Amino acid sequence: MKRNKPLALVAGAALITLAACGGGNGDDTEGTGTGTDKKFGAQEGGTKDETLQGPAEELEGATEGGTVTVYVAGDPGPNSLDPTDGWSVLGNSIQQALTHRSLTQYKRGEDGQPVLVPDLAVDLGQPNEDYTEWTFTIRDDATWEDGKPVTAEEVAWGIQRSLDAETFPAGPGAEYSKGYFAGGADYAGPYTDKGKAYDAISFDGQDVTIKMEKPFPDMDYWGAFMAMGPAPLGKASQPPNYGTDPLSNGPYKIEKWTPSEELILTKNDQWIAESDPARHQYVDEWIFKFDQDQAKVDQIMLSGNSDSQTAIATSIGSDKYEQANSELGERLVQQTSQCVSTLTPDYSKITDINVRKALAYAYPYQDVWLAGGEVPGVTRVPANSIMPPGMAGKVEDFQPDGEQITYNPEKAKELLAEAGEEGYQITMIFYEVDPLAVAVQKQITKGFESAGFKVKAIPVQVSPYDIWLNPDDKVNKTLNLRGVNWCSDWPAGSTMLPPLLSSDGVYNTAGFNEEAIDQEMEDIAAMPLEDQADAWGALDAKIMEEYFPIIPTAFRNDLFVFGEKIGNPSGDAALGAPNYKDFYVMQ
Amino acid sequence: MSQPTAPEALGSLTDETPIDPNSKKAKAITGRSPMQIALGRLLRDKIAVICAIVILFFIIVAVFAPLINKMLGVNTDTVFPSQYLDMLGGGMPLEGPPNNGFDPDHPFGIAPQTADDNLAYWVEGCRTSLTIAALATLFASVLGIVIGLLAGFLGGMVDKVLSFFIDLFLTVPFLLAALTLAPILNERFNTADSYVTIQKFSLIGVLAVFGWMGMARLIRGEVLSLREREFVQAARVLGMPTSRVLIKELMPNLAAPIIISVSLMLPAFVAAEAGLAFLGIGVTSGASWGQTIAKAVKYFEQYSLYLWEPLIGVVLLVLSLNLLGDAIRDALDPKTRR
Repeated sequence: MKRNKPLALVAGAALITLAACGGGNGDDTEGTGTGTDKKFGAQEGGTKDETLQGPAEELEGATEGGTVTVYVAGDPGPNSLDPTDGWSVLGNSIQQALTHRSLTQYKRGEDGQPVLVPDLAVDLGQPNEDYTEWTFTIRDDATWEDGKPVTAEEVAWGIQRSLDAETFPAGPGAEYSKGYFAGGADYAGPYTDKGKAYDAISFDGQDVTIKMEKPFPDMDYWGAFMAMGPAPLGKASQPPNYGTDPLSNGPYKIEKWTPSEELILTKNDQWIAESDPARHQYVDEWIFKFDQDQAKVDQIMLSGNSDSQTAIATSIGSDKYEQANSELGERLVQQTSQCVSTLTPDYSKITDINVRKALAYAYPYQDVWLAGGEVPGVTRVPANSIMPPGMAGKVEDFQPDGEQITYNPEKAKELLAEAGEEGYQITMIFYEVDPLAVAVQKQITKGFESAGFKVKAIPVQVSPYDIWLNPDDKVNKTLNLRGVNWCSDWPAGSTMLPPLLSSDGVYNTAGFNEEAIDQEMEDIAAMPLEDQADAWGALDAKIMEEYFPIIPTAFRNDLFVFGEKIGNPSGDAALGAPNYKDFYVMQ
Repeated sequence: MSQPTAPEALGSLTDETPIDPNSKKAKAITGRSPMQIALGRLLRDKIAVICAIVILFFIIVAVFAPLINKMLGVNTDTVFPSQYLDMLGGGMPLEGPPNNGFDPDHPFGIAPQTADDNLAYWVEGCRTSLTIAALATLFASVLGIVIGLLAGFLGGMVDKVLSFFIDLFLTVPFLLAALTLAPILNERFNTADSYVTIQKFSLIGVLAVFGWMGMARLIRGEVLSLREREFVQAARVLGMPTSRVLIKELMPNLAAPIIISVSLMLPAFVAAEAGLAFLGIGVTSGASWGQTIAKAVKYFEQYSLYLWEPLIGVVLLVLSLNLLGDAIRDALDPKTRR
């Protein structure tokens, strides 16, 4: 899952989070005066509750009515509202919570941890013995916004659409549907391979059955993506037109959408609360304002005027963090986004592990965060490996080099001397259009140079990912240090390690290529489900210890600001976004 | 009662000793060229003098920027901000403004986020600003003068073609061109070691290429009226080569409009450079007032000094240049009497 902000392209819906300020329902008696002490709560693996049924339990003190305005700074929002096309944190967090249902969904649990619960399916799906066939029974009381029931055929059709990577190049189906569904790699989808039969997805009565190419124990998590939801049959869901005004089946429907500007959602009166275990319909209207100026949003949110009382901001400028933290108290929510920022030394060029470790010691972490407009220790925290904190199986106290790697130019010099590579030439790129990126690059260059590296930093004016991911780019060929920011799609190592570190991983910008590790990843995928989490964690530690192929520089957190009349300010741990399902306006 | 004119009075006129043509007094009256007269008027204009002093200050700062920084003990080197900023307390500097008193090590304070020295960046920003504006003005006015002279004097087909180009360049939106050119240059030269210099000169090029048309039109108009005058006709009849007519006969008569438009072009380019840097095109690495302003805008509430410094620099320089330009125009124009 990606983030559209420059330098923050990211993949992943996140699970597991910290509960920023207790994560209570707004009436914690804790002092709200100087809430300067934001700590990470204890984190556990995601849980599941396959028996939960609708309606979602009422929130204490919740009232109906009101309009909520959500300010999204620096992100133009989704390009298309077609559920099959959605693979961004912003778009999915809005649509999955409010307008589009899928097989399964997440609910914010008591302690702020996300719980996987049924959505359109009556349970979390029934796998066969070896997870090569999954059957989901579709509930019969879910409806579209036009009042017609959602049928198993429509769900099967929606899922089949996700195999069309040509029509939906930005969709997650290209990664998971095509990767795991039987024959998915050879079937180009219902629009590109018109008329060709595809029999891995079938429906019978209320049952939808999906056959897998290889064991896919995480299908229930994959079912929580809106791409695994229904679409109207035939012409009605023809892309790209469907993407401008898709038919809703959640508690809200799309009233008006102006790309990059505004999305207005109003109550869907055909939605039946009894059919939905996790969503609420308290608010009358949602207005999402995209691509806002951060400074302007900060002013609105901190002003406390009537506009801001029913508003939510999905981020806050680092310059306003201190003020917001002391003034807003519980209304400033910190949320882990289950993301890791990394530097990726080219594995075929920087072959000596000591040089890679020297880079890790030469990277001035705190200074880079400060110069980049982050709040050290709040929006960025030190990282020890690739799997984000709290992910099931992660070895929490693991350190690849004995203790937490911090900026230590002396140590870096020693390591370089040991490798016999004093004055090693590093070639990297930076995005010169953004003054923050320029400031960050200056810090990195200074850090590396004081540790005895030579640095050539090439300014570019396109997204660095366009260069890093293009093997034919002439600049890319000269680089020996790249980077990637990655988020998990669900709480399993399988969405973190293979995309970054398998030899054919989509975002393997390091070019890491070890047959033994590739083999091990395949072996883990074939293991019994209950052993997988620990195996991924062990592999994560093993890779970092033995190869140190990429340098994790930070785990990332987000900050959300809530107006004083927004009830139940909290974050959605599954997506790293505000928890839109459970908000109400205090009357 | 009216008093008849005394014959003595009349006589006194004739009695006055004729002025010796070589005396100092005579020189003061007869020997002043139009330029000297204009200069005299300019010196009597208080605003012009103050503006000239301000501009002189900026020029000295720009020319001796490295020396001044050295003298004041500041520099533009990158430092680690974690040593100078209050990381957990809002990221403001630990010493100096805005939360503490004057910091002698950093007279203008240090920047939030990066902890760069504001004074050093201000001085270097002045240098960048004036270098780019001066060079762009030089190139633009030379181009404008040459094209204006040729178009006005040669007339006919040449005039038509050159006028077409003047109109063509006037139709291209300057900002759009600058925005388009930046990534193209980046793509082509970003691996070169001299990228920063190339970037600077491309900015000068863009400013000059889209800044000469006004000058060319003005000169062309002046030349059109001048070339029908008797002294030019005479020169042509005498068989002077065109180049001589242009340079020796026409140019001196064009001095006034050229000086005026140069003095107004300079502040326009200073402002344009700052504007482009604010938008993130133009000078992206190195110091620039526009860039500092872009960074400082969001800190206006907590740390307004950070924004005021480059802002005052730009405003003062542009205002002084503009006022001085106006004063020069007034001084050179024989029709104005102030």
